[in-house]
Amino acid sequence: MKKIYFLFLLLSLSAFSQEKYTVSGTVYDNSSNETLIGVSVYFPELNAGTTTNEYGFYSLTIPEGTYKIQISYLGFSTIIETINLSEKLTKNFNLKEETESLGEIIIEADIEKINIRSPQMSVNKLTSASIKQIPVVLGEADVIKSLILLPGVTSAGEGASGFNVRGGAADQNLILLDEAIVFNSSHLFGFFSVFNPDVIKDVKLYKGGIPARFGGRLSSVLDIYQKEGNSKEFNVTGGIGLVSSRLLVEGPIEKEKSSFVVAGRASYAHLFLPLFDNDNKAYFYDLNGKFNYRIDEQNNIFLSTYFGKDVFGVSDNFVNEYGNTVVNLRWNHLFSDKIFSNLSLIYSDYFYGLILDFVGFEWDSGITNYNLKYDFKHYLNDKFKLSYGINNIYNRFNPGEIIPNRADSGIQSEKLIDKYANEFAAYLEAEHKVNDKLTLQYGMRFSNFTRLGQDELNVYENDQPVLYNEELKKYESAEAIGTESFQRSDVLATFSNFEPRLSLSYVLDDDTSIKASYNRMAQYLHLLTNTASPTPLDVWAPSGRFIKPQLLDQFAVGYFKSIKNGDYSLETEAFYKDIQNRIDYINGANLVANNEIETVILNGQARAYGLEVLFKKNTGSFKGWFAYTLSRSEQQTLGRTANEPGINQGEWYSSPFDKTHDISLNGSYEVSEKWTFNANFLLQTGQPTNYPVGQYEVQGLNVPIFDDNRRNADRLPAFHRLDISATLTPEKNKNRKWQGEWIFGLYNLYGRQNAASINFRQNRETLRNEAVQTSIFGLVPSVTYNFEF
Amino acid sequence: MKKIFFIISLLSLFFIGCEKVVDIDVPSIAPKLIIDAAFEVYFDETPVTSSSIVKLKLSADYFNETIPIVTDAVVFVTNLSNSTVIDFSDANADGSYESVTPFIPLDANEYELTVIHDNQIYKGRATKVKSTPLTNVVQGDETLFSGEETELKVNFTDRGPEENFYLFDFTNNLFTNIEDRFFNDVDYNFSFFYAEDEIVLPAVVTVKMSGISKAYATYFRILVGQSGQNSGGPFETVPSSLLGNMINTSNEDNFPLGYFHIAETDTFTLVLVEKE
Repeated sequence: MKKIYFLFLLLSLSAFSQEKYTVSGTVYDNSSNETLIGVSVYFPELNAGTTTNEYGFYSLTIPEGTYKIQISYLGFSTIIETINLSEKLTKNFNLKEETESLGEIIIEADIEKINIRSPQMSVNKLTSASIKQIPVVLGEADVIKSLILLPGVTSAGEGASGFNVRGGAADQNLILLDEAIVFNSSHLFGFFSVFNPDVIKDVKLYKGGIPARFGGRLSSVLDIYQKEGNSKEFNVTGGIGLVSSRLLVEGPIEKEKSSFVVAGRASYAHLFLPLFDNDNKAYFYDLNGKFNYRIDEQNNIFLSTYFGKDVFGVSDNFVNEYGNTVVNLRWNHLFSDKIFSNLSLIYSDYFYGLILDFVGFEWDSGITNYNLKYDFKHYLNDKFKLSYGINNIYNRFNPGEIIPNRADSGIQSEKLIDKYANEFAAYLEAEHKVNDKLTLQYGMRFSNFTRLGQDELNVYENDQPVLYNEELKKYESAEAIGTESFQRSDVLATFSNFEPRLSLSYVLDDDTSIKASYNRMAQYLHLLTNTASPTPLDVWAPSGRFIKPQLLDQFAVGYFKSIKNGDYSLETEAFYKDIQNRIDYINGANLVANNEIETVILNGQARAYGLEVLFKKNTGSFKGWFAYTLSRSEQQTLGRTANEPGINQGEWYSSPFDKTHDISLNGSYEVSEKWTFNANFLLQTGQPTNYPVGQYEVQGLNVPIFDDNRRNADRLPAFHRLDISATLTPEKNKNRKWQGEWIFGLYNLYGRQNAASINFRQNRETLRNEAVQTSIFGLVPSVTYNFEF
Repeated sequence: MKKIFFIISLLSLFFIGCEKVVDIDVPSIAPKLIIDAAFEVYFDETPVTSSSIVKLKLSADYFNETIPIVTDAVVFVTNLSNSTVIDFSDANADGSYESVTPFIPLDANEYELTVIHDNQIYKGRATKVKSTPLTNVVQGDETLFSGEETELKVNFTDRGPEENFYLFDFTNNLFTNIEDRFFNDVDYNFSFFYAEDEIVLPAVVTVKMSGISKAYATYFRILVGQSGQNSGGPFETVPSSLLGNMINTSNEDNFPLGYFHIAETDTFTLVLVEKE
C-alpha cells in the first residue's frame, strides 16, 4: 500500500508542479560563427544541465521561472545570464575565446562538473589547438600520434599505420570524418595520419561505453568533425613544415548564413628519396572542403568532402598510389525545439593501385560504400533524452584486379571476384537522469548484415575450406570442388545482432563520481592482415559463409574525480573485453591477391583486460597529464576437432599489439605570451615478437626455426622516448592582422634507438647468423611556421 | 606477389635511422634431423641427366657457428610402382648421400625416400613435377631502385593449360618462385634484379628453372621469407614453423625438417658483363 501512496504522490507532484518550457539554441564561437561541440549549458539553481551536440545544438526543458544560465567551454570565457522562462525560448550564445576577453571570469570547474555527472565514460577528447602543440616527429601535427599519448591507446610502433585501442586490432576502430567512414587513416605507410589538423574542429575517441548510435567496429570510435568555416569574415590559416605545407581558406558566402572551408595539405614531391639519383617520387596530399548553408533556424545544410592520396614511384618500374575519397551531404532539421534531426548521405571510397612494370602488370583494389543515416535527438525533458535513428550501408569490395600494363607482358588479366554486402542498423537510446545522483544511459542497437550474391563462390567438400593434414601435422588449403553462381539480389548469408549498451554514473559528491558501462558490438568487416601492422595493400573482407562476424562484450568501471575545482582531474578505469570470431591464419598463409581467402583462415577468439589511469592538470600556465595503462591482450585459436592443434596448441597467446605497461607524460608550460614549451615522454613494454629456437640449412639457405608452440612469446626491448618542442609567438603579432608562430621540435631527444623489429639473418659476408635491430627515428629536429591572417 | 611486400619493406627502409646488430638470448630446442632432398632431372639435355643428392644435417642453436652433418644414416629411395630400391651412400663422409647407381626418376612414378638415423625411421614421398624449357635469358639494362642493380630478362612459355609452379634459382642463393595463374599457357617474360651487393660483375651465372608442386612452392616461399632475404619492418609476416613433407614414422613428435621433391629442371648459363 505504501507503494501506491508513493506513486500517487509522484503523480500529484507532477500534476501540480509548475508548467515546463523548453529553452533551446545553438552555441557559436564569437570570432568565426563556428558552432561549438560539447559546450556545457548549466542552470546552477536547478542543478540541471546539458551539452551541445555535434552541431552545436542544445535543448533543455525546465519549470518556468527566472534562472541563471551558465554557458562554459574549455578555452572560452563563461557566459552567465539571467533568463526569464515563461514560454518556450530560443537562445543562441556566442562564446569568446579566453585570449580575446582577458579579465573576464572563467569558470572551468563547471565543465568538469558536467563531465562528472555524464554517464559517458572511456572517452578522450582533443582539440585542434592541443594537437598542434604536442611535439611530434618532423613537426607534423598529427591526430593519431597525439591520441597515442592517452591511456588505452597504442600503435604498433613508429612508422606503423593504424592504432590499437584497449588491446583491439587496428581494423576494429571506426574512424568517422564528419560521420563518414574512413578506411585508411595513414599517409606514407603510417608515418603521418590523413587528418589535416587545421581543418579539425573536434576529436573524440570512444574506447568503451560506446553509445548505441555507433556500430560496425568493436574497439573504438574516433569521431572527428571538420570546421564549417568562418561565416563572419575571410580567414587564411597555414603552415610550412619540413614534410608538408598546409593552407586553409575559410569565409562567408552569405554573411552568418553560409560559409565554406577549403583546406589543402601537400608534402614535398621527392620526400626522403634524394638518396638516389634516378627518377623517383614520393608524396601525399589531402584536400578537405566543406560548405554549409543555414536556411533558417530550423534547417541547415552541409556538404563535406575529403580527398587524400599517396603516390610513390620509382622510374616507371614501380608506381604505387592509394587514397580515400569521402563525400557527405547532411541536412539538419529541427522538428521542434525538442527534436533535432540529421540526415546524411555519404559516399566513401578507398583505392589501392600498383604498377609493377618489371613483372608486367597493374593491380587495382578497393572498397566503396554508400551510407544513409537518419539520426534523431529527442530532448523530452531535463531528465530524459532520447536518441534514435537508422543507418544503411551498401558495400562493394574489389579485392583486386590484375591488368597487363604492356602489350608484350604476357600477363593475362584477372579479376578477383567482387563482393557485395548490405549493413543495416537501427537504434534507440535514452539518457535518463534518475535522480540527483544517478544518471543512466541505456539503449539497444539492432544490426543486420546481408552478404549479397557474387559472380562465383567456391564450394568445398563438407564445407571445409581448410584441412588439417594429420600425417604432416599442418593446416592446408582445400581445393574447391566447384563454384556456385548468384544473382546480385541473392542472399549468401545473413547475420542479425542485438547490441545492448548501458552506462551509468553515480555521483558521490560534486567532484566525484563512479561510472560503469557494458557494451556489445558486432563487426561484419575484417581486415585481412598477418603482418605486425596493417599495410595499405591489405584488403577488407565481409562476413559470409566462411567468415563469421566478430562480436564483443565489454565491461568497464571507473572512478572520476575533479580536484580543486577542476584544476586537476583524475580518471581511472578498469575494463574487460571478450571477442568472439577473431580470425587468425594458417602457417604460410598468402593473403595477397588470394581469391580463396577462406582457405587460409582459422576462427578464434580474443580477450583483453586492463587498468587505465589519467591524471590531468587542466589550468594554469603549466598543463599536462600523466597516463598509465596496465593491460593484457590475447588471442586463442582452438582446433576445430580434438585431433587438431589450432594455433599455439590451442593455448592463449599474446596478440601482436599486447603491451603490458604503457606510460605517457605530456606537459606544456607557458613561460610568457611569447614562449610555450611542450614535452612528451613515452615508456612502453616492447611488442610481442618471435625469436628463433634454432637454425638449419636447406638448398644453401640458412633458415631460422620458429616454434609454433610459443607464438608471440618473446618481446622486443622496451620502447621509450622523450620529445620536446617550443612555440614562439613573436610579440609584434599583437595588433596586426598577420599572426604567426614558430614551432621548434626535437623528437626523440636522447636519440634512443627503439626497435621497430628484430630480424634474424645470415650475414652475407661473414656467413654468421645475426640479430639485426631496425630502428626508425633517431633524434629528429624540426621547425614549422604557422600563420593566420 | 611477395615482391610487393618486399618493396613496401624497402619503403620503410627509407626512413630508417639505423640498423644494428644486437645481442639477443634465443631459446633452444633439441636437435632435429634435417632432410634436404631436392632432386633435379635435366630433361632438356640429351641424354637426360639428374642430380639426386640427399643432404642430412642436424639443427643447431641459432647462433651456433656450425651446423652438424649426419654421416651415419641409412638412405634409400623406393620406386613405389615396381618396389625397386635405389641405395644411397655418403661416399665422401660429408653428409651428402648420392645414389650408388645412376638414378633418373621417371614420369608418373611415385618414389619414397627413407632415412634411418638414430633408430628412427623417416619417410616422405614425391613424384617428378614436369617443367618447361627456358626460351631465353639475357642481361638487360634497366634498374629498379638504386640504379645499381643488374637486370636479367627471363623468357619462357608456360606449360599447358594446367596449374604450374616454377622455382628459379639465380645462383648466390637467390630464388624466386612464381605460379602461372596470370600467364597460363602463353609466352611470359619478367625481369629479375640483382642488387649491387648480390653479384660482382663480370660474372658467369647459371639460371635454373624447375617445375615444382604447389605444396613445395608454398614451402619455398616461406623458406625464402624466413631465411632473411626479405627482411625487415613492420610489414613482416608472423613467422611460423616450416614443416616439410617428411615424417618420423617411429616417433611422430620428433618430426624432421626439410623436403623431398623431384623436379624437372632446365638450366641456362650466361655471362653478365660490366655495365658502362
